[in-house]
Amino acid sequence: MNARLRLVGTADVPETEALPGALLPGPVHYLGESSGALTELEPESLSAHRRRVGERPSCTGPAGSALLEALDEAALTGRGGGHFPTARKLQAARAAGATVVVANGAEGEPLSRKDAALLELRPHLVLDGLACVAEFVGARSAVVWLHESAHPARAAVARALAERQGHEKEPALRIALGPDHYLTGESSAVLRGVSGGPALPVFRRAPGTSGLVHNVETLARTGLLVRGVAAADTVLVSASHERAIVVLEVPDQCGLADAATAATGSAPVQALLVGGFGGSWVPWTQARHLPLAESSLRAHGLSLGAGVLHALPAGSCGLARAASIAATLSAASARQCGPCLHGLAAIASSMSALVRGGRRHRGEVARLEAFVATVRGRGACNHPDGAARMVASALRVFEEDVSAHLRGRCLHATAGRRRG
Amino acid sequence: MDDQDRRAPRLRIDPSVCDGVGVCAHLAASLISIDIWGYPILAAAPLDRRTLPAARAAVRACPHRALFLD
Repeated sequence: MNARLRLVGTADVPETEALPGALLPGPVHYLGESSGALTELEPESLSAHRRRVGERPSCTGPAGSALLEALDEAALTGRGGGHFPTARKLQAARAAGATVVVANGAEGEPLSRKDAALLELRPHLVLDGLACVAEFVGARSAVVWLHESAHPARAAVARALAERQGHEKEPALRIALGPDHYLTGESSAVLRGVSGGPALPVFRRAPGTSGLVHNVETLARTGLLVRGVAAADTVLVSASHERAIVVLEVPDQCGLADAATAATGSAPVQALLVGGFGGSWVPWTQARHLPLAESSLRAHGLSLGAGVLHALPAGSCGLARAASIAATLSAASARQCGPCLHGLAAIASSMSALVRGGRRHRGEVARLEAFVATVRGRGACNHPDGAARMVASALRVFEEDVSAHLRGRCLHATAGRRRG
Repeated sequence: MDDQDRRAPRLRIDPSVCDGVGVCAHLAASLISIDIWGYPILAAAPLDRRTLPAARAAVRACPHRALFLD
């Protein structure tokens, strides 16, 4: 799940190091699903980190109120996809007496690399955020949760933890590893995993938990905000096109298409998948007029999720792409809840039937719409809801492709050919 | 959770525990239907004096204790 990290020329995208609240030194490029070691960029050392941003203020006891104020003032929200106000989550965890806090770096979304980039380049900033949160809540245990194959991130964090030994007065921080599954980073699965159980989502009968899970980016921003550095006016985006993924930090005033263009360059784009595999397809003509900021996107019924934008090239069949994503989501089900296990399998097989096309599949769209309505809101986690959202948006945005497939042809000759 | 929710109990289900046994839908047919894979779909409306007894019976009958009142 972890890719080779390559810093390619950064001249084409504005230099963000100049911004005081920048999280990353510049755009970070990854390639596809290949795994490999960090090649050209080194994680920032503790001394370089301190020279750049200064000492970390303590958040123990009364000092914690300054942290809360800083988070509140910046209106920081969770960057793992939920966009819940961070300050409120912290207060609730402290009130509930949370004993464990987790930096969630198990980035399950196949097209997301922002958390990997932060852990690999700025491990101390993330650890600072984690230490602050642990102190604020009064947690006994603070954990960095990673996929077991996330070797570069693991190496960077391990090295950073070793550097901090004896140099930082803070709670004990440790690394814990979960399996390389899509749902390993789901917050209830994280808590179950760090406490030694299987890393699978848990249904909560009542609110309140024993632990607090924050996304890595949320903690990195916390690490800056606690120092009085404004860190909430940018968005970290993983923009992908074909097999290339670029992590970039852009002002939240910029447009959806501006961010996507960092990955696509001048290549013609047909549609954008906004919010990752569980997100929504948007036609490029529409995406060009949409904002990037989460609060504005929500007004359009969209969410950036964990900051994932995926561009569908003009010559590709969107229906085929959506079907392959539906198959991935079905395979990624934790297989605990019947409606998700059976429903996502039915959706994937129905999507695949549509791609094969031909008149005998005329009833497939109605079947799909029924499946989508049936799985929504019926899992212990929101995995089925994401799959339903993606498929429903694909049926809308790629309506012409669906009709063409049902007539036995594909509009994109290079991507698919006449079938059935 | 507002006052309205507090007064009127609702049927809820832990889908990760439910095995699609289906007794609940027999005991509370007006509140629970079964999807094409055999899993219960719960009516969203809060329970009242008329529907509560059937809901309780369904909760008691669930062999996996997946169904509960909230």
